[in-house]
Amino acid sequence: MFQEMVCNPVLAALNSGVIVIDDEYNIRYLNAFIERHGNLQLSEVAGKSLFNVFADLPEAWLKRKLMSVLDLNSPAFSSWEQRQYIFKLPHLRPITSSSQYMAQNCTMLPLATAQHEQPLICILIEDATDAFVYQQHLSRTLIELEKANRQDGLTKVQNRRYWEEQLKQEIHRAQRYQHSLSLILFDLDKFKDLNDKYGHLGGDFVLVELASFIGSLLRDSDLLGRYGGEEFGIILPDTGLEGAAEVAERICRAVADYSMLFNQQTIRATLSMGVAEFEPKQHFLHDDLIRCADMALYNAKRTGRNRVCCYQAGETDYHKKAN
Amino acid sequence: MNNLGFSEEQRDCLQEIINVAMGLASDKLARFLNTFVHLQVPSIALVGAMHIPEEFENRYQDAEAALVSQGFFGNEGVRGEAIVLYQMENAHKISALLGYEAGDVSEIEMLTDISSILTTTFLNGLADQIENSLSYSAPRILSSRHGNVADVLKNTSFHWEHALKVDISYQLIDHSFNCDMILLIPGEAVSNIKNILDRILEAY
Repeated sequence: MFQEMVCNPVLAALNSGVIVIDDEYNIRYLNAFIERHGNLQLSEVAGKSLFNVFADLPEAWLKRKLMSVLDLNSPAFSSWEQRQYIFKLPHLRPITSSSQYMAQNCTMLPLATAQHEQPLICILIEDATDAFVYQQHLSRTLIELEKANRQDGLTKVQNRRYWEEQLKQEIHRAQRYQHSLSLILFDLDKFKDLNDKYGHLGGDFVLVELASFIGSLLRDSDLLGRYGGEEFGIILPDTGLEGAAEVAERICRAVADYSMLFNQQTIRATLSMGVAEFEPKQHFLHDDLIRCADMALYNAKRTGRNRVCCYQAGETDYHKKAN
Repeated sequence: MNNLGFSEEQRDCLQEIINVAMGLASDKLARFLNTFVHLQVPSIALVGAMHIPEEFENRYQDAEAALVSQGFFGNEGVRGEAIVLYQMENAHKISALLGYEAGDVSEIEMLTDISSILTTTFLNGLADQIENSLSYSAPRILSSRHGNVADVLKNTSFHWEHALKVDISYQLIDHSFNCDMILLIPGEAVSNIKNILDRILEAY
């Protein structure tokens, strides 16, 4: 018959795998795609158990799927997105793909057979490696994008938007679990003079150097962000005012002793730092904590720079104009 | 409610076919799950697809809901997209019945499996009665957990003209489970279905 004459070559040429098994999971047919990728011959495996021929199959899982196909007489599906592959087969992109095996979409179909004949299931296997590779690229790009979205472009510490989000979360956490929480705001002293003396590239260099140096002095849980211009903030979870002041003092001294080399010139810089502790009372928002640390920072400026000042409750005496 | 030009006889006939399909599906499910499945007569409604999002907005607004879609196509121009909507709470109940253990498979696989079983057993029963047979695309999750159900439905139903809403309630011995199924069908498929219904009506 014409149909049969055509069907076999088409099945052989098909770029998808076709496996037919019976209700005892014995292989009745497989096409050239499976023969070639699996490196086996139909004549050798016909009648053998699917689970013996493909020893790595997730047997319990697959049997449950196949059982539902037989019992319900309806198809079952498996997507590479949930299960990258069922049959361990090599794919045709061994160099450009990071995956060792062919990602697969599988469909398990009940085959209509005559009343007294043994029920058959057809397993169709489509190569989804391309989609898998694109998905991996996409995931990587999304991770990079997310990182870029959180980072300050120049100094690579957290940018203001993300840092403030973190601060809000930490305040929420401190409120809920009654943890202490402190904030350090600091500012480079006389940054304008640095820019005038070494040019904007020199100023940028100092920002990058110091951000990285200060980052290395912090604990993993401390969160350093660029608040704007030459102003930075450090969120210190689980830290009271005293502990935060110690951290600030340490950073202040270390920076004052730190010399940076820019175009064969040694640059030194100092910081003014304000420290405030979160007060676990209602309606104390992240703005309030920033405002308190800011007041302390301006006190540090006003009283001579290169120093740490702590916010004292009730304090209002500060001069915005000091710099 | 707009009946999309279905006559009363056609509508009754469709309801009857759906009742029988649901009966066949629950019988298969009962045997597969090894439990008694009691089924309520499903209520059906034919509506314009554009009204679908508002119909379901309220019911699935607050809870964690899942939507799974599966395309189907058969002979005589029968084709469309079946969407199963359910509360996650219900999904967990039936996954336990299907023999999934926590951590056994991903939540997404569990959802697509349940939906595929419900959709294909029901639609196969429907196809049998109109002497048709259907093929299915792989089920895919439109949204699970915190997606906005109405927005997702808007994006999907946009492609279709008509919708057959089927409210499904299964009662299992210790559990009750209910979900909604929406069959989205294109305009020309509605007239094909009407022709099929008329042929069945004539045969009686």
